[in-house]
Amino acid sequence: MEQGKFPRHYLEAWGIAKSFKGTRVMSDMNFRVERGELVSLLGPSGCGKSTLLRIIAGLLEADEGAVVLGGREITRFPAHKRNVSVVFQNYALFPHLTVAENVAFGLRARGMAKSATGAPVSEALSLVRMTEFADRPISALSGGQQQRVAVARALVVGPDLLLLDEPFSALDRKLRETMQVELKSLLLDRGITAVFVTHDQEEAMGVSDRIAVMNAGRIEQFADPSTLYARPASPFVMDFVGLSTRISGRVVSSDAGTIAVDTAYGRLSARSDVTVGKDVLLGVRPELIAVEAGENTIGVPLTDVMVLGSKTVLHGTARGGDRILCELPGIRGGLKRGDAVTLGWAVDDTLAYEVAP
Amino acid sequence: MTARVDRVALLAVPGLAYLAVIYALPLLMLLAKSIRTADGVSFGEYAAFFSDEYNMRVLWRTLRVAALTTVLALVIAYPTAFAMSRAKGPWLTVFLVAMVLPMSLGVVVKAFAWSILFRANGFLNSTLQWIGLTDGPVRMLFTETALVVGAANVFLPFMVLPIYAVVRQLDSRLPEAAASLGASPMFRFFNVTLPLTLPGVVAGSAFTFSMAISMYVIPSLIVGERQQTMSMLIARSFLYLRNEPLGSTISAVLLAIAIFVVVFSSWLARRLGARQ
Ligand SMILES: Nc1ncnc2c1ncn2[C@@H]1O[C@H](COP(=O)(O)OP(=O)(O)OP(=O)(O)O)[C@@H](O)[C@H]1O
Ligand SMILES: [Mg+2]
Repeated sequence: MEQGKFPRHYLEAWGIAKSFKGTRVMSDMNFRVERGELVSLLGPSGCGKSTLLRIIAGLLEADEGAVVLGGREITRFPAHKRNVSVVFQNYALFPHLTVAENVAFGLRARGMAKSATGAPVSEALSLVRMTEFADRPISALSGGQQQRVAVARALVVGPDLLLLDEPFSALDRKLRETMQVELKSLLLDRGITAVFVTHDQEEAMGVSDRIAVMNAGRIEQFADPSTLYARPASPFVMDFVGLSTRISGRVVSSDAGTIAVDTAYGRLSARSDVTVGKDVLLGVRPELIAVEAGENTIGVPLTDVMVLGSKTVLHGTARGGDRILCELPGIRGGLKRGDAVTLGWAVDDTLAYEVAP
Repeated sequence: MTARVDRVALLAVPGLAYLAVIYALPLLMLLAKSIRTADGVSFGEYAAFFSDEYNMRVLWRTLRVAALTTVLALVIAYPTAFAMSRAKGPWLTVFLVAMVLPMSLGVVVKAFAWSILFRANGFLNSTLQWIGLTDGPVRMLFTETALVVGAANVFLPFMVLPIYAVVRQLDSRLPEAAASLGASPMFRFFNVTLPLTLPGVVAGSAFTFSMAISMYVIPSLIVGERQQTMSMLIARSFLYLRNEPLGSTISAVLLAIAIFVVVFSSWLARRLGARQ
């Protein structure tokens, strides 16, 4: 442990660095989770989510850094001494054991007699509503059922921490949504601290208290879902957590925290302290844009109008690398491709990021 | 509608015909010889074979040597198969060549090479004496130990390859899942890795054992006539004694053992596989 550093967080991974065959995939990674929290690691493929998870689980050794769990440094503990359960992407159930034997595995590994495992196993199975499948072989289960067994197997041992690596990615959309709701209430009811890897932003926002958005081995932002959505810390986070209108420009004046930006669509304002002369990227969440003049106003022809039922999505003609996107609630008739429209939004809703020219 | 013949099933016809003529027919003729006497069908030859103490010693020795050979080959092959499954690129090629090349060398060459290793003034004895483990030369050639060691070497590929085939398909996340559930390396081995690789172990052992009970060349070269095995008894009956009923009888006994091994191991493999 770093000298004099007392761990104030339930799970703390700090200064983590990892290379594979000389290629750095992670350096000076700091990640903290409080007791009882559900936290998501969200990021594109290859950004290091599984690597961080495996280091916390003890399945992979970090080159540098330490892992502290519940006040105990576990950096050098092998996986089987950490009391950290993992639910794997393809569940990794034992094919030679029945459902009940799979769930009992962790108990037996901890030295519990076979006869004593009956009660906790059936409790765990009823928790995930798999009681009637107890004696089935794993191969006779559907994906969703296997996933439930994997969760029961991970929870029955009473882990200090539950790690889930894309637990729903093999399920179809409908089932995925059901399982997300089920798992979340299960974990909240039992006060389990869990870290949940996903590359689906809706899943992350729906399931977790806080989300760590990862990019190329770094955490770009670690915040609750609403902050992440409303105040993304970088263009990467803004784009990864939902879509936005993106307009690039250059700051032409700055006054008391409000900047004026020249863009291909005219002059727009944002709250920001980027200095005059810098290039900026402006972003607006699409549902904050209305089809009427606002503090910021642009006029664009529509390239597409998509009526999705709960919302109608307008795509405006964009220039260069820009994107014009507006979402209106419900079904909005009367607009069609090719119409020239006026789009407006508030200065307070305008995100601004300094970018390299 | 009449039942139609599955055309794919027709592909089996040449193979079946070949087996029937070249394998089953002569075997049946051989079996017939063991029970047919001048005055009808009799199992007298079998009674005589099983009541002969010398024959029983040979039978027992054959089974013992085959079992020990299988165990030794297994002990060497099992970790080797894991090493092979981890090996990448050129290393895997090295492993496979090391496995297959000695097979093409032929048993005769190997046996003479071993005799250099095993003989009284051979490499092993000189080394043992030089380290001081033994005072004088130890008899190695012409012993059952040498036979088991040599046979295990010859049959090693037949043990390694089936195990390798299973180990290669082992999902590496299963031991990881076991570890994260609190299983020590030992518990993981006995409760995950071993049960999942058992089908390969059964297949390899069945191959090795059934080849080892019928081996002829290896014992002839390593231990010679002094310690007979079943196959040597058969050869002697046909070639020297010209006693076809006796030879056929011993062949039938050997065949029965081989059939038992094959049936039992495939039953075991199916039982193990049924749950996976
Ligand atoms: N065993 C390994 N050997 C070499 N490189 C590896 C290994 N494991 C991971 N990597 C590399 O490390 C980086 C991070 O991988 P990781 O599996 O953590 O990504 P991830 O965020 O989980 O991605 P995904 O969403 O695709 O699962 C990737 O560039 C990957 O290629
Ligand atoms: Mg991953």
